[in-house]
Amino acid sequence: MAAELTSIKLNPESHLILDQPLLRLPHELARRNFKTVQRSVEREKEYVLPALKEAANASLSNTHTPDQTLAALDAMISRMQGLKRKMQSLQEEEKKIQTQSRKRIQHLETLHKIPSLADVKYDQWSRVRLDRLLVDHMLRSGYSDSAKQLAKDREIEDLVDLGVFTQCQRVVESLRRGETKEALQWCGENKAALKKSQHNLEFELRLQQYIEMVRTKDLSKKVEAISHARKYLSLNPESQKDEVNQVAGLLVFTQDSRAEKYKSLFSPDRWKYLSDLFVQTHHELLSLPSQPLLHIALSAGLSALKTPLCHSAYTSSSSNSQSTSTSVCPICSTELNELARRMPYAHHSKSYVESDAIVLPNGRVYGKSRLLEISKNVGSVETGKVKDPTTGEVFDEKEMKKVYIM
Amino acid sequence: MDLVQKEHDRLQKRLKASQGIKNVQSTIDLLQHARDAIAQDPNQAAVTLAKLQNPVKSSFDLINDSLKETHSRFNKYTKSLDKLFKDRPLPSTEHDVLSEQEHLIDRAIAMHLLREGQFSVAATFLSEILDKKAMVQTSESTSRSTDQAAIVFDIDEVPSDEIRKQFGQMYYILHQLKEEKNLLPAIEWSRENREALEARGSNLEFELCRLQFVWLYHGEEHEHGNTPGDVKAAMQYARTEFQGFAPRYLREVQQLMGAMAFCPNLRDSPYASIFNNPSAWDDVAHFFTREFCSLLGLSADSPLYIAATAGAIALPTLLKLQTIMKAKRTEWTSENELPVEISLPPSYLFHSIFVCPVSKEQATDENPPMMMPCGHVIAEESLRRLSKGNRFKCPYCPNESHPKDARKVFL
Repeated sequence: MAAELTSIKLNPESHLILDQPLLRLPHELARRNFKTVQRSVEREKEYVLPALKEAANASLSNTHTPDQTLAALDAMISRMQGLKRKMQSLQEEEKKIQTQSRKRIQHLETLHKIPSLADVKYDQWSRVRLDRLLVDHMLRSGYSDSAKQLAKDREIEDLVDLGVFTQCQRVVESLRRGETKEALQWCGENKAALKKSQHNLEFELRLQQYIEMVRTKDLSKKVEAISHARKYLSLNPESQKDEVNQVAGLLVFTQDSRAEKYKSLFSPDRWKYLSDLFVQTHHELLSLPSQPLLHIALSAGLSALKTPLCHSAYTSSSSNSQSTSTSVCPICSTELNELARRMPYAHHSKSYVESDAIVLPNGRVYGKSRLLEISKNVGSVETGKVKDPTTGEVFDEKEMKKVYIM
Repeated sequence: MDLVQKEHDRLQKRLKASQGIKNVQSTIDLLQHARDAIAQDPNQAAVTLAKLQNPVKSSFDLINDSLKETHSRFNKYTKSLDKLFKDRPLPSTEHDVLSEQEHLIDRAIAMHLLREGQFSVAATFLSEILDKKAMVQTSESTSRSTDQAAIVFDIDEVPSDEIRKQFGQMYYILHQLKEEKNLLPAIEWSRENREALEARGSNLEFELCRLQFVWLYHGEEHEHGNTPGDVKAAMQYARTEFQGFAPRYLREVQQLMGAMAFCPNLRDSPYASIFNNPSAWDDVAHFFTREFCSLLGLSADSPLYIAATAGAIALPTLLKLQTIMKAKRTEWTSENELPVEISLPPSYLFHSIFVCPVSKEQATDENPPMMMPCGHVIAEESLRRLSKGNRFKCPYCPNESHPKDARKVFL
């Protein structure tokens, strides 16, 4: 009994493992937003203060006409007004993010009020979580419309990150089409944060641009490529020596080169590589897990539920579609069966069988009361006989034999 | 969690109180003021500008101070999040078997959506999958055409239109049953599948008919309080429908008929529970769903839901295991089995489980449970090891037997 109670106890803190991105992501966004504010204030300060000083000095030494002074002041005012507008729009954005965070915190908070895993409320909560996981998976796989629809139907739009993923997906698609513009724009927006990243997304994108220029075989393009390389690809000549050398080599080799290094640089697979790299960098920056949360939950869950019987060659007599008193095991159900095939099964240290287990002459083990109940409900069995619900064989009640399973 | 909430409250308050924009506005005002003054009296330009230096600078300082304060709030909230999720990193993803089986996951999701009655989402989802497949196929058709064909075939296999139609039917019947209190579609379905249901030992059809009888008896929803329902209609129904049930459900039918004798005052009769069961409709709806899914070879609750929930329950234990294994640099000894026991609520146990009491191993196809003539069961390998081919004593009772007398049993 004690074991049963501990098994349904809900420990909300450790239960939140899957929900980290739920709070982390909006926080990351808010911080980014805030940094933009800081940066633009800093930029205006660096412009206005020296400009003001200069204007004062100029007017003191009479090198400026009054009109010039006025013009300088006007320029400062309009820049400050620009700053104000920018800050206002960022504040709007921030409000949205914070209300969203608030709702998410409340959602997690409800879990603390649920006493046990057997509670109906936990069931509801867990269903919402599954919907969240599904939306997350759909967004990551690029099924944006389904994700939007599901989020809307289930009214969980505040609990999922449609915007972030849709934007990410847009860049991915542009990369797949062979366009670097949107990805580079994203790099520009996140320049500061990208410096810490170990992946050199921007370098790879610039390199791709270079490759495309070289690919054309057009001489003027090649010249352009060289200046492009000077501008973007030789920023860290020390750490990227190999790459830079290769870049130079590309000018000589043609597309149908068989030299492995250059062949792979010209390969269209590089676009796939770039889009993967982008996703990786993007998720890292927003502290999103690289793998859909659904995968994490499922791989743990499949193993926890799986028994050796789920993929046994013999039909299990304890749980199958043929007997009514138990429901079909989720792992045996067609949806998950194949998926679980390569998963390890759960570890058990104790047998778990019905207490009144009996064995039929064909070796099938059932709970006695359950078997009698089933046989009673099956119209075609005479009294005094039992029907094996798995095989359909009919035996005399006397043939049931007690079996001892420890 | 409380801490996170508190810190978030503070952060939000701080952001609301933030004077940033106001300070920017006052800077603008300062500049504007000076500009107006200079425009009026150009001779004062030098003085005005000189006077302007400090106020503008200090107003920028104000903005920065305000930002700094917000910044520290942000940091505090970050810390509270770190604390909440400390020691709880998401599991590392060294071998993610599942991502190699993306199509199977997509299939499971599509089935889940269908069985949850989310037909429009499911339709969108399936068409998006097909679009993606088509795209992948065209872009890679030259290189790996054979692989692609296999994947496309897999996804087309299930969930077919057939499954979709089935679930559509299920939701129609459930809707009728729950919302309209109309049992007829359900009864009709159970008649069509009578043989399969009977083979399962299911009494769904009778349950439905009995509820129909009770419903007729009560008549149109208790509009006038205790009006005696339409007994006549109920009796008429019983006469035509209960004939077929007579041999199997004689007792139940007799009960229903017997109840009629108490007709005006059924409430106080011994049969009250049959007629005034508030959860009867929900029970029947649940029963119907289970039977319907079972006939399709599916479990009644969405497997995806159960698996994901079980996963969330299991994760803390698995994570702990991962940390320990990393620290000790060990590997699991048996690759096919999780190295720890995960205690799931009893409702998550679907199979009987046999653990050999001698070897403490779970029975598998290769090592099945064997019953000795005395009725005790041990795993085949243990049997072989104990007996070495000769007569041996059962480890749990005085009985002696020969290994060839032991019989394989199926759990």
